[in-house]
Amino acid sequence: MHPATPASADEPAQHHGSLPADGLNRRHLLRLLAGTAIAVPAAGLLAACGGEEEPKTDPNAPVTVSFFWWGGEARAKLTEEALKLYTSKHPNVTITPTWQAFTGYYDKLATISAGGNAPDIFQIDDNGLAEYAGRNVTLDLSKYTGNKKIDVSKHPESLTKYGQLGGKQVAIATGENTPAIIYDKTKLGELGIEVPQVGWTYEQTITWAAGVTTKAGGKYWGLMDPSSDYKALWLWLRAQGKEFYDGPKIAFSEADLVAWFQLWVDARAKGATPPADVCHEAVTGSVATQLVVTKKAAVSFMWSNQLSEMQKATKNDLGMTAYPGDPKGQWARASTYWAASRTTKAPDVVADIINFLVNDVEAGKILGVDRGLPNNLDVRKAVSDGLTDQKMKDTVAFENEITPKFGPAPAPPPKGHSGLRNSLRDIAETVSYGKATPEAAAKQFFSEAASALA
Amino acid sequence: MRGRRKNYASRRSEGLAGYVFLSPWLIGLMTITAFPMLLSLYLSFTNYDVLSSWEFVEWVGFDNYKKIFTADPTFWQSVRVTLTFGLIAIPLKLAASLGVALLLNRERRGVGLFRGMFYLPSLLGGSVALALVWVAMFNGEGAFNAGLSLFGIEGNNWINDPDWALATLMVLTIWQFGAPMVIFLAGLKQVPTELYEAAQVDGASKRRQFFHITLPMLSPVIFFNLLLETINGFQGFTSAFVISNGTGGPLGSTKLYTLHIYDKAFTDFQMGYASALAWIFLAAIGLITIVFFSTGKFWVHYSDGEN
Repeated sequence: MHPATPASADEPAQHHGSLPADGLNRRHLLRLLAGTAIAVPAAGLLAACGGEEEPKTDPNAPVTVSFFWWGGEARAKLTEEALKLYTSKHPNVTITPTWQAFTGYYDKLATISAGGNAPDIFQIDDNGLAEYAGRNVTLDLSKYTGNKKIDVSKHPESLTKYGQLGGKQVAIATGENTPAIIYDKTKLGELGIEVPQVGWTYEQTITWAAGVTTKAGGKYWGLMDPSSDYKALWLWLRAQGKEFYDGPKIAFSEADLVAWFQLWVDARAKGATPPADVCHEAVTGSVATQLVVTKKAAVSFMWSNQLSEMQKATKNDLGMTAYPGDPKGQWARASTYWAASRTTKAPDVVADIINFLVNDVEAGKILGVDRGLPNNLDVRKAVSDGLTDQKMKDTVAFENEITPKFGPAPAPPPKGHSGLRNSLRDIAETVSYGKATPEAAAKQFFSEAASALA
Repeated sequence: MRGRRKNYASRRSEGLAGYVFLSPWLIGLMTITAFPMLLSLYLSFTNYDVLSSWEFVEWVGFDNYKKIFTADPTFWQSVRVTLTFGLIAIPLKLAASLGVALLLNRERRGVGLFRGMFYLPSLLGGSVALALVWVAMFNGEGAFNAGLSLFGIEGNNWINDPDWALATLMVLTIWQFGAPMVIFLAGLKQVPTELYEAAQVDGASKRRQFFHITLPMLSPVIFFNLLLETINGFQGFTSAFVISNGTGGPLGSTKLYTLHIYDKAFTDFQMGYASALAWIFLAAIGLITIVFFSTGKFWVHYSDGEN
């Protein structure tokens, strides 16, 4: 457009930081331009053009950052408000937020990321993280956690570690979250049955659930069948000191998986869990179809940050506790992450926005516990003190109760995991529908794992 | 001579003008259809994974195709499901649309209203909303079972039963018979009434009239509908995806071929492999079309040709 600028703009970009005087002059010039922009629209245009070409040299140059996440209306409102707070403090930064429901999010993300054009900042979860990081889509944030531009000193260490792959900080958790079982307090009260407790073994829980089914006497069961749920299997393995993945390989044995499937075959035989077709309704994990919500079972296997949302879907009062088994199998888990695009034109600004979202107290108060408990423990304290939603308070209380019992964090699941967890879901169902033995199903899983993780 | 040449020249410039007017469409065809298609053909011979940059795209020859036929049980499962779906749902849909078209062909009071009502489901198309309605109708506590319970019948958990889930999908597809019905109606109007009058004079029964006049006269329309519905039917995706929550379950019973392509492309990030699946699909549908066209001459009756 204006042929003189590219040459001069490229140069400082290559030696960024080494030419402070030059940077200062530009800053003055741009401020001047920004000032006249009101009177002369063309000047504003010029400033915008100049800014895109030299984002690294001048922290006050105009920068546009694309920002993409999934979630509902409520989350969108909170996120946009937090981003507005950032841009009000950094008037040179323009953030273009895009959001949509979870369904279709990953398709869209993959499509826009094709050919290296991922959004500058995007939300991702541990199922997708390695797929993107392993294909070099994400920006390595180690530099910024190293120089404290993204300050993780007040974050739980395991939470930070759960964003690392191959020695790189590939993403920063948006908040801490823990798998939790959510139970129907009202229904259990009516039946006169005690509520489940942290630290119950699977055997205890299954016996308890069979009791619920018997007492309810009808089409109501004690427990959702979690055999197809990778996170339940993972925690079951970890409670025994085992692991799901070891780097890019499966860390457990075929015998372990047979035992897992057999556990749930027996549970179904005892009446603790519903038949396969009822469980299948809830198998994708969406809140609206959970058996606790549809009043078919007393317990659903969920995440702790879903309690509030789930409570809104039912009139019965809900409670929450840990998954069965030794809670040392649990760890401080990222509910989702902020990741950045490797091809972003403004990596410093991107890092600064992420830092703002996870460490700024005001931003934390706006975001609340929507994406899990805030990472930064100071922010967490401030946010929990200001909560009004009872179920969100319960979530915080639960996290506080269970956090001291956590075990060490594993690495996030490897590339190929998102397909493999679907394989586990489908294969576990061949057992629950009675079409395959635990042995045959386990064998099938390992053969699919070999090709999925290859 | 001179006049003819001039004529030829002006025809040529008319042809050019024609292409100029066609160009928006031609450019669209090239950029939106032909280029992506050729690119996907190329990708089907690579390990393209969507996310990695282009320098990591490697030529793998026929590996994807080999793997599909030798080492992908889900491929065969999806072929089985898709064929079952197509072989049952498409003929039934055509039969339903023809049957209703015959009923609505008579001029009676309010026939327009009925035509509109029968066409209505097709307006909703393969929409997500409709698929969600289907979930609400055919799950364990759905409206369908509520209806059955009035007769003391305890219904199945239709969409969550691997033996029935595909059948509910077929019912959804068949129910949307409006488009072929309208085409059949138009076809029925074209059948000359003299033929029926002559047949009546000869004392032919209604049944004979149907088999010896209506069906042969309608055969080009049947052929057209069959072709269109086959191609559409095999490409169905939305309803299966929504009803099974993207799983193709329970137990892969609704895993249409298109769902398998989707899984490979967007869950496993094997876009090269998915492209190979898509090209096999294209070849299969092409083959079916060729079979239709080559057998058509034995049963499709074009009356215009005899004029």
